[in-house]
Amino acid sequence: MIEQPLPPGGPGARMTGVSGARSRVWRYVGVGLPLLGLLVPVLLVAVRRPAVSQPIEFNHLKHTKDLQLDCQFCHEYVTSGAHSGLPAADKCGICHQVPQGESAEAARVTELLTRGDPLQFNKLFRLADHVFYTHSRHVGIAKLECERCHGGIATTERPPKRPLVTITMDYCISCHRETGQSVDCVTCHR
Amino acid sequence: MTRWGMVIDLDRCTGCAACEVACKSENNIATVPSRQADMGRAISWMKVMTEVEGEFPNNTLQFYPRPCMHCDNPPCITVCPVRATYINDEGLVGQIYPRCIGCRYCANACPYTVKYFNWYGPEWSESERRHLNPDVSVRPKGVIEKCTFCHHRLQKAREAARAEGRVLREEDYQPACAEVCPTGAIVFGDLDNPNHRVAELKEDPRAMRLLEDLGTQPKVYYLRSRQ
Repeated sequence: MIEQPLPPGGPGARMTGVSGARSRVWRYVGVGLPLLGLLVPVLLVAVRRPAVSQPIEFNHLKHTKDLQLDCQFCHEYVTSGAHSGLPAADKCGICHQVPQGESAEAARVTELLTRGDPLQFNKLFRLADHVFYTHSRHVGIAKLECERCHGGIATTERPPKRPLVTITMDYCISCHRETGQSVDCVTCHR
Repeated sequence: MTRWGMVIDLDRCTGCAACEVACKSENNIATVPSRQADMGRAISWMKVMTEVEGEFPNNTLQFYPRPCMHCDNPPCITVCPVRATYINDEGLVGQIYPRCIGCRYCANACPYTVKYFNWYGPEWSESERRHLNPDVSVRPKGVIEKCTFCHHRLQKAREAARAEGRVLREEDYQPACAEVCPTGAIVFGDLDNPNHRVAELKEDPRAMRLLEDLGTQPKVYYLRSRQ
């Protein structure tokens, strides 16, 4: 057996070139990963839908469950119109003209109403401009449950800042296929 | 099978262009600055074309109101690379704006020149903006648009009929041009339904279609007694 002379620098020194490149890669990863970790959330926040604020902290659960109000009581046009409609101050005033319950928010509503505040609620769910959707067709004729598209909005205790469900075309199409409805493009886009 | 179509009686047409105006206001068609209109960039889904016959002063005019022909064999759909224009089960040739990439192949393929390109984004005055039809989209810059036979009216009519629990009647679905025509020259309905007036009218001996020899099989028929 012939003894091989050890390369200068000891055993494994022949690998120097490769391990150098590897450590350089690791250095990039070491810098890149935290940077990416910082950038991704920033980008996600930037492209996220803007938060929708409401004039009062409306408690859906209280009204739908405890008081047993129908959705249509406030969303008047849900079976007959394209938009379901949002309630105006006079709708709230039916009960809240006089103080109701013990919550601070209910007291604030009465105060706002006596001050003549219009209580302008803001639309939370928005479809793209090129989608032609009507509630009358889906709720009035097809009798779909509100939860199918709006999720658990009826059981929220404070208004969500963003829609609970993100509705995509895929979601619409799969439901249309299941129920044997038209999947013709012009049905929704025109 | 439903096949929506139109019959235009040229002997009744006075060339008043009410159909053009009705179409423009029904379908949110943008007005184009006059200089651009001179360059042929004006948009008019329904256009009254004029054919002059004879020499002045012994000439006569023949008006041809020209919507999209909604051909049974449309040359525009075969060239569309993104299927933004297609023919549906009821014979309506649809144009899906959010899908259109603005290549203008279809506008060049159409022998009737009914397809219009949006060279500019629409501009509306404040008062015009309030009168826009909410059932029809406002087309952005860079897409092709054309007559839809007021398809949105069909959907509304269907919805109303279903809500009332009855079948769709002929008069429920009429495009704006047919509705407004003062002489009743434009008749609209289902070409395959013997109860609709168009089914009978298209068999009239005066009936003809534009550029029939191309084999596009348009669903717009013209009645003309003068040869």
